[in-house]
Amino acid sequence: MQQFLNGISIGSIYALFAIGFTLVFGILDRLNLAHPSVFAVSAFVGIELVERVGLSIWTALPVVFLVGGLLGLVIERVAFRPLKNRPDAHFAGLISSIAIAGMLIALLQWRYGPDTRRFPPGSFPGTDFEVVGARVTLVQVVIVAVSIALMVALTYLVTRTRLGRGMRAIAENPTAARVLGVNVDRVTAWTFAISSALGAVAGVLFAINVNTAQLGMGAAIELKGLAVIIVGGMGSLPGALIGGLLLGLAEVFAVEYVGSSWRDVIAFGLLFAILLLRPQGLLGARKVREV
Amino acid sequence: MLLQYSTTLTFVALAAIFAYSFYAVLVAGQLSLGQAGFASLAAFSAVSLAPDPDAVGDVPALLSAVVVGMAVGALAALVLGLPTMHLRGVFLAIATLGFGEAVRVILLNQEWTGGAQGLPVPRVVTLGMAWTAAVLVAYWFWRMGSSRYGRALEAIREDELAARAMGIDVGRHRLSAFVTAGAVAGLYGVLLAYYIRLIVPGDFGFTAAVEGLVTAVLGGSTMFLGPLLGSGFQTMIPEVQRAVGIEAGWIRPFLSGLLLLVVILFLPGGLASLIPRRNRLPALGGDDRRPDLGGVRQHPPAGETVVSATGLSKEYGGVHAVQDVDLEIRSGEVVGLIGPNGAGKTTLVNMLTGLVPPSAGRATVLGVPIGTTPVHRVTAAGVSRTFQHSKLFARLSALENVLVGGHLANRPTFLRRLVWLPSARRDERAALERAARCLHRVGLAEKAGTRASALSYGDQRRLEIARALAADPTLLVLDEPAAGMNHVEAEALSALIRSLAADGLTILFIEHNVGMVLRTCSRIVVLDFGEVLATGTPEEIAANPAVIDAYLGAEEADDVHGGAAAAAGSRPAGDGGTADPVTETRPSRAGTLDPPDATGPTARDVT
Repeated sequence: MQQFLNGISIGSIYALFAIGFTLVFGILDRLNLAHPSVFAVSAFVGIELVERVGLSIWTALPVVFLVGGLLGLVIERVAFRPLKNRPDAHFAGLISSIAIAGMLIALLQWRYGPDTRRFPPGSFPGTDFEVVGARVTLVQVVIVAVSIALMVALTYLVTRTRLGRGMRAIAENPTAARVLGVNVDRVTAWTFAISSALGAVAGVLFAINVNTAQLGMGAAIELKGLAVIIVGGMGSLPGALIGGLLLGLAEVFAVEYVGSSWRDVIAFGLLFAILLLRPQGLLGARKVREV
Repeated sequence: MLLQYSTTLTFVALAAIFAYSFYAVLVAGQLSLGQAGFASLAAFSAVSLAPDPDAVGDVPALLSAVVVGMAVGALAALVLGLPTMHLRGVFLAIATLGFGEAVRVILLNQEWTGGAQGLPVPRVVTLGMAWTAAVLVAYWFWRMGSSRYGRALEAIREDELAARAMGIDVGRHRLSAFVTAGAVAGLYGVLLAYYIRLIVPGDFGFTAAVEGLVTAVLGGSTMFLGPLLGSGFQTMIPEVQRAVGIEAGWIRPFLSGLLLLVVILFLPGGLASLIPRRNRLPALGGDDRRPDLGGVRQHPPAGETVVSATGLSKEYGGVHAVQDVDLEIRSGEVVGLIGPNGAGKTTLVNMLTGLVPPSAGRATVLGVPIGTTPVHRVTAAGVSRTFQHSKLFARLSALENVLVGGHLANRPTFLRRLVWLPSARRDERAALERAARCLHRVGLAEKAGTRASALSYGDQRRLEIARALAADPTLLVLDEPAAGMNHVEAEALSALIRSLAADGLTILFIEHNVGMVLRTCSRIVVLDFGEVLATGTPEEIAANPAVIDAYLGAEEADDVHGGAAAAAGSRPAGDGGTADPVTETRPSRAGTLDPPDATGPTARDVT
């Protein structure tokens, strides 16, 4: 039970990260490899806010959300928009986002150096709960609650609002959406902003969960995020949620029963099996590209 | 001087070899990140299996390790490629990435690899050896570039479906590109192992794979020198920075990222795009206005059946795009296929050319059963086509497009080019000559070197025809070849089609320009709501009351499109009436060729 709750808590962070990833992929058909660097940057920014500005870790969350959104706008403007009409926009966007990611991590290194950073002592409330014989910290509860709240808000945004309708129209057919009066550039920019804001919150929650921020933390979660969006179905938001939770649980139980060194094989084995058996993922609709 | 930079230069060569393993698949438009996994497997197995350099000498030990490593790499690529070759784009990238990570974790947990401590390896590779290997790999891809095989890969990258229709076996080509990548990655793994003295599974992780990809794309994935340029650039940046005194730890990765961004934003084809591409067009003797296409295929004698279809139907989710069509085309005929938008013309043609399997009914085209035969086999039997929306290989020149069209008519040349056999040169020249004739025939000879995407719309349509002709077809299928052409161009096209028929080709063409169809064809088939409404000679069709009523009614002279724009085009939903299709009339339909709303239930043309 204890393991189950731990798995849910780490899994909801994976899910939040992966939802940001899959949002851009599902709507714009682009893989944004700068997403993991936003994850890392926001963790450092969160620690900075708590340490220097004196915010509590909870009030730091909305600020980090905004910072992430701004980063998303920058990434879209610099790495994706200039390439949008190129025949090889897939590859080019991949590479340019890798370049941006490298630059962001270099800036982190400049500001904070290569060492691991932690929240100042006393930032965390010590409250614990007993749930059916397992110990749950308040931090874990908040992580799950924030993740769920953001996912619900995103679902509302995509299904009920004008912006969401624009997003779905672009996902279906960008040219037709433009002809029908959707401001494609603006919706694209918003998509990137929201995606990065979610990735940023995931980053700071991750840092809170393990009380560390490292330069390499983005690279570590990148592969997991990719695995999650494949397992859940490329572009599927509920799929990313389920995939994230599954991965969190699988990892925790793998460590418990198989040994920590094999943990990643399980994730990638699952990924591989899904790709071969059901390439559209658990919840992905098979997207038929007309010839 | 050279010694001082020996380490750097060796790494330039090694990184270039690794980048070539990405180039090998990028050339075919595939994005794979599994090369680090191949390199890792190859390095560890080669080091474990190859003899000790102290016992047999450096070079024999290294050579045997290279052989083992390349074999392991190629085998791993084959095993991974067989189940994953149907994945496209990012999906393939992530699947192969997952493979690479799985390899890393598995090797990390093995005894024989030394786990996290890794394996110590004697240093055997020298600067000269590394460069010899890099040059050999570059040579391989240089000779591949303008061989038939290399062009086929480029065609797959540009447009997989069109490549298939040109008779290229896409699955096999993609797999062979992938296996090549595996072998080259294996070579890299072995050379790296014997240079850096110690290998650990962590050397071949995600970061390494991304580095390799970045190097290849940065250098340019459309020209064989690309990976070398990219590797030189990537490896030299830190050196240059050190030389000018930039030492702070963060500036170097920052500037590398910035430079990468600048190159990708402002040099779309990578560094190699700075090198101009040559285009040779062999001069044709005399100025023959109608050059012989130089075809060698024996066309069936006039009157023999080329296409025979019975009860051919295609259903898309309950909508009958084509219903119960019987069609017979004989050798030497010029058959026009007309009908309103959404009548199922393109679907019918897609079935006859093997792109779309029929839901019911049977058809044989040039002796090949349709529906069970892969597209490239149908093409091999002598069927060649153009597409409604032009599907040219956009980044290739007009001449290269036509050369790809001749894939089946030409002989493979890559392996012979590797050893400079004169016969390969002769075959290449023959292929070029044939392509030039095809371009001449459609009047595009002086545009041979122009990129397909830079041609005007009418020229693109003509280039598609030239490309289809290069396959030396018996049955030429044209899907709206005159769309977007003016009267003069359409008339020239009509003359071209008739001259091709005079050469013995059988032609089936879809066209909305009814005037042109009536003047060009020997027989016309009218399709409406997926069914054959009428069939006959141009005179019969022009006089057929059902056709006039349903279709030609509003037409005066050739003013087809004007009539269409004015018409309100209210089409009833497919009523699937059982009345005699020839005499049936549909009273409420405004007789137009081109109703503005093509949203009728049968508007599901596949192209």
